[in-house]
Amino acid sequence: MIISSSGASPRLISDPSPVPSEARRRGSKVYGHEHSLTPLPALRAGLPQEPPSRPFGSDSPQGGEKQGGAIGLPSLQPGQVASLVGPSGYGLTRLGLAMLSEHAGPIAYLDVRGWFNPLAAWEVGIDPDRLHIIRCDDILRWGRAAAALLDGVDAVYAEVPGGVKDAVIRKLGALARTRRTVLYLRPIQGTVPAGVAHLALEGQAVAWDGADRGHGKIEIRRSVVMASGKTMQGMPQTIEMEDDGSDTVRVVSGMGLAQPGLSTG
Amino acid sequence: MWFPEWALRSPGSPPAEPRQAIDDGGRVVAVNPSGHAAGIRLGMRRAEAEAVCPNVVSIERDPGAEMVAFEPVVAAIEALVPRLEVAKPGLLFVPVSGAVAYYGGEARLVERVVKEIDGLTGGGYLVGLASGPFAAKHAAARATGEPPVLIVEDDADFLASLDIGAIGSEELVATFRWLGITTLGELARLPSGAITSRFGAIGLAAHRLAAGSDRSVHARSIPADLTIEERFDPVLDDMEQVGFIARAMASRLVEGLAAVGTAPYRITVEAEAADGTTRSRTWRSADPLDDGAIADRVRWQLRAWVEGPGAGVRGGLAALRIEPADLSDEGRQLALGEDPGKDLATQRALSATQAIVGIDGVLMAEPQGGRDPIDRVSWHRWGEEPPVAQRDTSAPWLGGIPSPSPALVPPEPQRLVVEWDTGMPSRVRLGSRWEPILSWAGPWRRLGRWWQGEQSADRYQLVTSAGAFLCEVRGGETWLIGIYD
Repeated sequence: MIISSSGASPRLISDPSPVPSEARRRGSKVYGHEHSLTPLPALRAGLPQEPPSRPFGSDSPQGGEKQGGAIGLPSLQPGQVASLVGPSGYGLTRLGLAMLSEHAGPIAYLDVRGWFNPLAAWEVGIDPDRLHIIRCDDILRWGRAAAALLDGVDAVYAEVPGGVKDAVIRKLGALARTRRTVLYLRPIQGTVPAGVAHLALEGQAVAWDGADRGHGKIEIRRSVVMASGKTMQGMPQTIEMEDDGSDTVRVVSGMGLAQPGLSTG
Repeated sequence: MWFPEWALRSPGSPPAEPRQAIDDGGRVVAVNPSGHAAGIRLGMRRAEAEAVCPNVVSIERDPGAEMVAFEPVVAAIEALVPRLEVAKPGLLFVPVSGAVAYYGGEARLVERVVKEIDGLTGGGYLVGLASGPFAAKHAAARATGEPPVLIVEDDADFLASLDIGAIGSEELVATFRWLGITTLGELARLPSGAITSRFGAIGLAAHRLAAGSDRSVHARSIPADLTIEERFDPVLDDMEQVGFIARAMASRLVEGLAAVGTAPYRITVEAEAADGTTRSRTWRSADPLDDGAIADRVRWQLRAWVEGPGAGVRGGLAALRIEPADLSDEGRQLALGEDPGKDLATQRALSATQAIVGIDGVLMAEPQGGRDPIDRVSWHRWGEEPPVAQRDTSAPWLGGIPSPSPALVPPEPQRLVVEWDTGMPSRVRLGSRWEPILSWAGPWRRLGRWWQGEQSADRYQLVTSAGAFLCEVRGGETWLIGIYD
């Protein structure tokens, strides 16, 4: 189901405050949509209603699902780097785990805060035997630990502690390229230095469906993420993702990627 | 019981003559004391050994012929103690726990066996008695006296004084020496977790050997239908043909075992003759047997039965069975995309990481039952055996938090400031700002162990525009126990 789609517009939904909190509190009852999903009024508020102009050669408005990885985002090639930037709660950990689950070999999660819950990884299909969790909250050791991991696993998901120098992150990016290991960087504070990430994902907004004033349970998360970087071929996209907890995270709109080798003119 | 020079035995040869056995690769695999005194060492190249001792007599190894010669010894001991296992021609392990009671003690049993073997072989054997095969072999190697017998009372005590080289793996031994570990006792005194974390499965195996805990205690159960049987009509009487069939059967056996993730340390070869008589023999190996090794042992055994003394296989071979025993998981079928080289690289990377962040910093997790997200994960250090799950995952766990699970769970609950309005949460303080609660679910009540002073708690899912949070309310205070990130 296509909910919304947009071209590059980082300012659009970063602040959901224009929608009155009372209206948001009422959820789907206020807006009375027939489908069970919350229509994300707060997310829609800033998005243009017209579908984005698709690049030449794209044969589907959800072209990303055909051209990208299993979850709909562009697949990262060995040695590439992705960054996931945004506050805790925007679903970026789960999104990163969903991307990690696409790797068949051993993977590592570098846990800075000691808060990582492997249950979430197992729920997105990561086998417990493949998942190695490394706890390191020391800034000096963090870079060395990440570098050691890049030597021997298929993919590393590294939380980046605050205070790590940009040079360290750039070195890790270069090392990942040399070792042909996919590196996912999730800064706890701040961002990833420009030019390091081939795919930069920035959480913009999140909404949950299923819970109501004491009834039900949270079931489906719909999050809006800004995707940019080299794998987006220079065209940042605002995409909407859906996560029902039982399946992997998936893109539901906004991914219209140009096919390699074609050009617009 | 070990005949260290079995490969060098040749009727009529003078005992003082230096002799060496050469394997297919042209290396010395056995040498008698005269040859050893002349400077020949195991593992030397043939040319090098002959340069050191020009008058040495070299014998090309033929395990089949050695087994033919060894079969009467095996049969004689088997007549006294059943269910023995052959490791190779010249080395066999005999489980004696039952026989010791039957013959009235270890010394009397050994005396009885030695008397039997003396008449058959004229000596040249060593006997070691211990709880495990590893200790027994090393006890035999150190047996002195007449007859040469060493009975070990306590495997761990006996092994403690042995040189670290006894574990076999040259690379591992060199590393242990470099670390200052020179005896098996020093290795056994180290915590197994530390050894496993540093050296992986091979280190754990070495530690078990050093501690006197042979792997037989870790044997896995055998699936019932893995025995491979082939019946022949007409019966087979050509050894070459039997060799080909044995190879095919061994391949089928290994494939079948690999499907369930195992490989055998022991196999039992059973041959049925045309007249209905059946003979069987168990073979043992220090390492899991592959199809080539199994086929070799089947061929050697059949040749020993056919060419050796005794009834042979009368009228030809009507059926052949290979039964696996004492399975390990080292023959596990690799998964799609699994690469043994990558596994090694992963082990090295994780070992290096462990050296950086500490032994408790590299972890693996296993699911277990529980009501809260933090309870449903069982942690253990990487490289160590996962602990037995304390709680059953398939139990109903009433009051458990439904999926999806929070991706972030604080190790200790964090204090959360929530404003309640007539029993319902209305807003929550996140950092310096208040976030209105858009929707919420719960409570899921957890009854604490009141007899141990635990409080009961109500768990809620709170949804805000900044995300969803799992919190629990107990004693009038709200605590954050998960973030749905």
